[in-house]
Amino acid sequence: MILKTKQLSKSFGGLKAINKVDFELPKNEIRGIIGPNGSGKSTFFNLVSGIYDSDPGSYIEFDGHDITFAPPHEIATYGLSRTFQLLRLYQDMTVIDNVMSGYHTRVPYKFFDAVIGRKKIWDQERAIKEEMMELLSFVGLADYAELNASELSGGQRRLLVLARAIAMKPKLLMLDEPAAGLSPVNVDNLMKIIMQLKEKYGLTLIIIEHILKVVMDTCNSVTVFDHGQKIAEGTPAQVKDDNAVIEAYLGKKMDDEEMRKALAV
Amino acid sequence: MEKFKSIIRDYPFIAFIIAFIILAFVPSVVFTDVYQSHLATLIFVNIVVAAGLNIVKGYCGQVTVGHVGLFAVGSYTAGTLFLYLGLGFWATLPIAIIVTAFFGVAMGIPSFRLEGPYLALATLGGGEAIRLFIENGNFFRSTFGISDIPTPSIMGYNFDSPDRYYFISMTIMIIAVYFSFSILRSGVGRAFMSIREDPICAAAAGINVKKYKILAFILSAMFAGAAGAVYAHMPPGYIHPNNYTVIEMVTFLAMVVLGGLGHIWGGIIGAIVITIVYDLTRPLYKYQLLIFGLTIVLTILFMPKGLGGFIDRYFLEKRFKKKTGTEKTT
Repeated sequence: MILKTKQLSKSFGGLKAINKVDFELPKNEIRGIIGPNGSGKSTFFNLVSGIYDSDPGSYIEFDGHDITFAPPHEIATYGLSRTFQLLRLYQDMTVIDNVMSGYHTRVPYKFFDAVIGRKKIWDQERAIKEEMMELLSFVGLADYAELNASELSGGQRRLLVLARAIAMKPKLLMLDEPAAGLSPVNVDNLMKIIMQLKEKYGLTLIIIEHILKVVMDTCNSVTVFDHGQKIAEGTPAQVKDDNAVIEAYLGKKMDDEEMRKALAV
Repeated sequence: MEKFKSIIRDYPFIAFIIAFIILAFVPSVVFTDVYQSHLATLIFVNIVVAAGLNIVKGYCGQVTVGHVGLFAVGSYTAGTLFLYLGLGFWATLPIAIIVTAFFGVAMGIPSFRLEGPYLALATLGGGEAIRLFIENGNFFRSTFGISDIPTPSIMGYNFDSPDRYYFISMTIMIIAVYFSFSILRSGVGRAFMSIREDPICAAAAGINVKKYKILAFILSAMFAGAAGAVYAHMPPGYIHPNNYTVIEMVTFLAMVVLGGLGHIWGGIIGAIVITIVYDLTRPLYKYQLLIFGLTIVLTILFMPKGLGGFIDRYFLEKRFKKKTGTEKTT
C-alpha cells in the first residue's frame, strides 16, 4: 500500500467535507476518483498533501511514513506530488523555471555552496536544466521554454503543470481534473502523455476527473465520493452499475412508469 | 570568444574580477572632481541596498517597506560601536551585518501571517519604530547625530577622502552583487520566485515556505546592514536619524521598481539611474518626491517589469523569432 487513510475526517464549521474515509491504494495502480461537485474530492487531495490539517482521529500513511501531521513540503520530500484544479501556475516565471522549481526536492547542493557560487553548482544547475528540457520536449513545450508561463494557451498550461509535478520524480502523482476544459482531441493527447509518463517513471496515479470516458478507459479502479463519504469502490465496470453511484452522480435511475410521469409534466 | 564564455559560465567570479579592474580605473580616467567619487560611493551603497531589497521584494514577493530601518540598524551599529568602543571599519562591518540579520528575522516574522499591503503596513511600522527609537534615545546621540566616524585604513593607508573611499565601497558592492547573483541564479532563487508566485503550490512542490521567507529577509537584511556600515564610515563620517526616513524608503523602492522587480539586474540598474537622477534634480528638491512617486506609479502601469524586463523582452522576442520563425507579441 503506497497510500492509506483511516477514519479521515475534515469539517469546516458544521459541514463535514470529508467524513471517516478509509482509503487504500496499492503501488502502480491508476485510481480514479469521481463524485458530484462538493463531494469532497479536492478536500481529500488537500488533506493527503498536507495543505489542510485533518480533524483529530484521522490517520494518513504514505509509503511507510505517518504523514497525518506533516507539513506539505515534508510530504513532498517523501515523493508525493500533486496538481491543482486551478493550476496554480507560476505566471511570472519562464516555462523552464516553472519546471525547474518542481525539481526543488531533488536539488543536490547545499545553500552555502550556492552563496559562494562554486563551479559544481553551475555544473549541476546545467544538468538539471538539460533534464528538465528533455521533460519539456517530452510533453511538447520545448519551443516555449523561455517564454513566461502566462503566455501559454490553456492546453499548454495543463501540460506544463503536469511536467512541473513530474519534475520531482514522485512515487505518487495526484491529478486534480487534469483534463478540465480541454477539447476531446487534447484530452486524448493528454491522457496518452500521462500514460507514457506513468510507464517511464513507474508512477502510481490518482486522478479526479469529471470526464467519465477518461476514468472508465484509463483507471484500474474507481472510488466514488458523495457528501464527504466513500459510497463505492471497485473496477470501473462494477462502479458503473452500482445503484448508489448512479443516483448520486448521474441522477436517479427511473423505471418506465416513473419516466413517463416525469416527461408528462 | 566561445572559450572565454564557457570559462565565465563555470567561474562567474572572474566576470566580477574583471568588473572590479574596470571600475578601479574609472576614477582616474573618467572622473573630473572629487564630488563624482562621492556620488559613485552613494551609487554603490544604494546598489547594495537595492540588490538586497530585490531578493526579498522582487524575488520572494514579500512587500517590505521597512528596509530603511534595517539600513539604519547597519549604520547605527557601526556608529555606536565606534562611539563607545572605538572600533574601526573592519570590526564594525561584520558586526553590523550580523546585528542587522537578527533585525531582519524580526522584520520577517510578520510575513508568516500577512501578505501584500498588510505586510507592507507591518514592515512600515517596524522601520519607523527603529528610526524613532534611534531618534529619541540619548544613547544614539539623537539630535546631534554621530560624527567623525573614522574611515577605514589598510596597513597604514587611510581611505580618508571620497576618491579613496570609492575603492572600499566599490569592493563591498562587487562582493555583494556577486553573492546576490549566485543566490538568485541557483535553486534558492527559484524557490524564492515560486513563493512569490504561489506559496501553496510552492509548499506542495517541497519548498519550506516559512524557512525560505525568513531566509530572504535575513539575506536582504545582511545586504542592508553592509550598506549601512559603508554609509556610516563614508567621509565625512556623519549619520543622523533624518537620513533614514520614509522618503529614503521610497527612493529605495523606486530603484527596485524602476530597475525591474524580480530581475536579476533590477536593483542595480535602478540604483544607478535613480541616484544620478536624484543628484541632478537637487535644485528641484521640492518636487523630488513627486518625481519618484510618479516614477513608481508610471513604471508599474506601463513597464511592470522595469527597465531590466524591458531589455530582456527585446532579446527574448528576437531569439524566439529566430528559433520558430513566428512573432510572439504579448
